[in-house]
Amino acid sequence: MIRVAISKRLPHFELRADFEVDRSTVILWGESGAGKTTILDCISGLRRPDRGRIELEGKTVFSSEADIDLPPRERGVGYVFQDYALFPHLSAEENIAVALGREGRKTTGEFLERFGLWKQRKRRPELLSGGERQRLALARALAIRPRLLLLDEPFSALDSGTREETYREFLALREDLGMSVLLVTHSRREAERLGHRILELKDGVVSSEWCREACCIGSGED
Amino acid sequence: MSPLGPILLSLYVATLATLVVSLAGLGLARLFTRRRVTFAKFWESLILLPMVLPPTITGYILLSLLGAKGPIGSVLAGAGIRIVFSRAAAVIAAATVSLPLMYQHCKIALQGTDPRLADAARTLGMTESRIFRKITLPLAAPGVLGGIALSFARALGEFGATLMLAGNIPGRTQTIPLALFSAVESGRTAEANIYLLVTVIICFAVIAISGLAQRGRPGSRGESPTARSGR
Repeated sequence: MIRVAISKRLPHFELRADFEVDRSTVILWGESGAGKTTILDCISGLRRPDRGRIELEGKTVFSSEADIDLPPRERGVGYVFQDYALFPHLSAEENIAVALGREGRKTTGEFLERFGLWKQRKRRPELLSGGERQRLALARALAIRPRLLLLDEPFSALDSGTREETYREFLALREDLGMSVLLVTHSRREAERLGHRILELKDGVVSSEWCREACCIGSGED
Repeated sequence: MSPLGPILLSLYVATLATLVVSLAGLGLARLFTRRRVTFAKFWESLILLPMVLPPTITGYILLSLLGAKGPIGSVLAGAGIRIVFSRAAAVIAAATVSLPLMYQHCKIALQGTDPRLADAARTLGMTESRIFRKITLPLAAPGVLGGIALSFARALGEFGATLMLAGNIPGRTQTIPLALFSAVESGRTAEANIYLLVTVIICFAVIAISGLAQRGRPGSRGESPTARSGR
């Protein structure tokens, strides 16, 4: 169970997020600039909220009251960045292995196989296709065996044909992993296709919430 | 007089000065790009000052600090260490004037790397020192190598500050520029031409090597493919 209850002052509005993710895929849906990425950054420990509390599987990783703010490396959060943030000077294999210890590196091949990247393991990111880059970013994030997976617009850089195929792969992977996933998107169609629950973020506030069958369980329109 | 002595001494002084400056410039650049340093503008101006000051003025400042009656020199003299008119003085003078070049190149190179790559590394559990060694520094390498090459060339060509602090002592502190000056002054044109030729060849070689090292590196000019795609 992931519990997030935070607030942070941004240049044009105050971001207020209060939600839970329980071994399901929750979508944060909203327009660009609504504060979606900031929420992911706060959960992963890259940015500090002004106030509030973040719990990951019962462990408090941030609490303004108790003055707890664990660094990203102690949070166990896998993060797939928008445009993937792959290390351009390292091969696909090294992108996964660079963060792993000696024991962990033995599993690099397993992740490359699983994500269909074994043949491309010696290639640098610039020589991979859009879909391969996306899979590599996902493999890299999962290789650290995270408690929570954060995905920031992971499909936005793909063309429509590749995107459809990647949706199917993601849905299959989601069932395999059985872990909490928080996915950010600005596409309503993508949100409804991939999430168990959808949280609409508007001007920094979760304004409404749907389950996958589009039954409105929160406030707000549509 | 054989021109080999000043040539070898120049290479020795420039190499040592470049080693010192590479470590100091990179360390300072990392410090100033990562942390908020108190009075950062003042300290940065101090580092960059030798770039705009006439070298003889820089040399005079060093002489005032490191001379037997200077605040640092007097302390060193008490420990039996005499800097002025020694090879160490030539290294210090060369390092002081080339540090601004190294610092500026490193700072621009470090600032040019995509900060989201370091963020990604943080979420993967990497420590800050490992991120610097494995991610930031390799991506900033072209700029850092350019800084090393220019620092070496600047150290090799140093004249004014070296003359003030180390003097022009043949066989001891007489580097190529000083030997060239002496040769021209006393009409030894053939010897002066050898110094000219050797300096130009070394500088060309340094520029060519640094160009080769930079060629084809992903993330050169501090950009990653993700950054180039308009992230």
